[in-house]
Amino acid sequence: MKNSSSRLTFLKNEYLITGIVLVLFVLSIGLLSFTVNPKMIEIGSCPPERPPSPEYILGTDSLGRDIFSCLTLGVLQSLIIGTTAGTFGIIISIIFAFISGYKGGKADALLRSIIDTFLVIPLWPLLIILRGYLGSLNTFQLGLLLAAFSWPGAARAMRSQVLSLKERDFVNLAWVSGESDLEIIFKELMPNLLPYVGVSFAQSFTWSIVSEVGLELVGLGPAGSMTLGLIIYYALSYGAMTSGLWWWIFPPIICIILLLIGLQLINIGLDQIYNPRLRRITGL
Amino acid sequence: MSKIKYSPILSYVLKRIVNFLILSFIVCTINFILPRCMPGSPLSGILARMSIEGASVSGGKAIVERYIKEFGLDKDLFTQYICYLRQLLTGNLGVSIMAFPDSVSSLIAEALPWTVGLLATSTILSWIIGNLLGTFVGFSKKKKINSILIIISLSLNRIPYYLLSIILIYLFAYVFTILPSSGRYGITVTPGLNLPFIMSAISHSILPALSIILVSVGAWLISMRSLTVSVLGEDYLLYAEAKGLKKRRIFMRYLFRNTLLPQVTSLSMSLGSIASGSLLLEQVYDYPGMGSLLFDAFEYRDYNVMHGIFLLTTIGVLGAVTIIDLLYPLIDPRIRYGGK
Repeated sequence: MKNSSSRLTFLKNEYLITGIVLVLFVLSIGLLSFTVNPKMIEIGSCPPERPPSPEYILGTDSLGRDIFSCLTLGVLQSLIIGTTAGTFGIIISIIFAFISGYKGGKADALLRSIIDTFLVIPLWPLLIILRGYLGSLNTFQLGLLLAAFSWPGAARAMRSQVLSLKERDFVNLAWVSGESDLEIIFKELMPNLLPYVGVSFAQSFTWSIVSEVGLELVGLGPAGSMTLGLIIYYALSYGAMTSGLWWWIFPPIICIILLLIGLQLINIGLDQIYNPRLRRITGL
Repeated sequence: MSKIKYSPILSYVLKRIVNFLILSFIVCTINFILPRCMPGSPLSGILARMSIEGASVSGGKAIVERYIKEFGLDKDLFTQYICYLRQLLTGNLGVSIMAFPDSVSSLIAEALPWTVGLLATSTILSWIIGNLLGTFVGFSKKKKINSILIIISLSLNRIPYYLLSIILIYLFAYVFTILPSSGRYGITVTPGLNLPFIMSAISHSILPALSIILVSVGAWLISMRSLTVSVLGEDYLLYAEAKGLKKRRIFMRYLFRNTLLPQVTSLSMSLGSIASGSLLLEQVYDYPGMGSLLFDAFEYRDYNVMHGIFLLTTIGVLGAVTIIDLLYPLIDPRIRYGGK
């Protein structure tokens, strides 16, 4: 009974449903890359600059590649970057949040100043310096690099959550009944922290996908992999705008925007379901 | 400590200023170390450029030796550091390595007005628009319009401005050719205080400004709305209404004074951080400013230019924070100057 009614709340929430549809749409484009003929993304494999047609769904670029095939690969690569950065970013911030918030004391003071320093340092210059230092990276390594920058905000939010959670009665009860620190962290605190983990994951996921495009635009993207940023970079540098090749430059941009808006809508929808009090703040 | 009683205001101001100086010193030191952590030296950049331009290698070596002497790069790091601090104190930013013999100040003076003009104007415009819309949404009872406005601004806020820029350029510069797509001013005008130049500069800045405004309006709107709603729920507002005060007075004295304060703080923070420019925006619009200058400095490992830009950014951000700290108790009587 309770289950079916809560399922109804999920299905009725139009923001959530629209968001999920958008995200699934982009994901499925990425998954299509496994069905793509690898020949089609080689330079010169197709006639150049053809507009979309039944043969080439999204047309071809100036270098004679099938844009739809490139796009599927690009989406997949961007998803890999986002997932890598999101996962590792979350792991780092959870560790920081628990040591800092749960243990407190000197460790807290130290970790908090590290977090604050990371939040203050101008991110882009540092990213560019590091990027120059590390030389060529593949998509996974780039994801790791971005993870190193995506965690401080999440760590701070989770730390304050841990601080407030650990004073609650159920945690005190667990402590009195002799649960160890690890048990308390994983059995009592973690489940209450999961919504934050989800939101932070989504944030560093999108942040790193977007940052990859930015790095690519200044010529610092991952070497040799077809990411969405690289498609945009190529399209811009081969003058896709001047020659009106909209089918080259817009698909990757639209994919990213759909993904971002989809995740945002999911976020709004989940807030409405789990956190009705938030309505006062967001007004939705 | 000393027995002399300072007024609390004076000691508050002194504390803030000392704080500012200490923080500036720390950040300046980080700014000295950071560029030197990069692989390669300024001279490898010069050598590479020379070999591209076809200079003979042995001749290049000799020039590079001169450069090393000229910039004091042969001395140990500590001497360089002392030298750097002395330069900062005298306000002398030194000579650029990549654009020798131009001074760092002249490079910055060339780029800064464009960056500040563009970023400051669009930041302030988006602040004003966002606050107006936010107040409207906070007040209005029309749920449909509110939801649409909020959804649109939340979604736009998620989109990185450089992607939005590409769409805008395509639409306004290529489909409808009404605005220029790149550059800071047209090639036909001569820079200076003349009408064609100013018009050209403005028309070139519309698209970059628009992309910043569209993206950042949302954040201001959301925060202003929640501030408005929370102030509207306060008892003192109810009391003011019950007293029969005029709507205008309630609006200006009770509502705006409380909602605008946090917004002014955030505005000054974002204004403080614009000195380092916006590399990606400048890249997409081919609008050379501080971001591009910094990027070139990275490419050529031009320590002096990096120092100069970092210094400006540091002073901008820390200065904004300090000024706000100093002014806040004046504007908001609920905050006291550290005294009793």
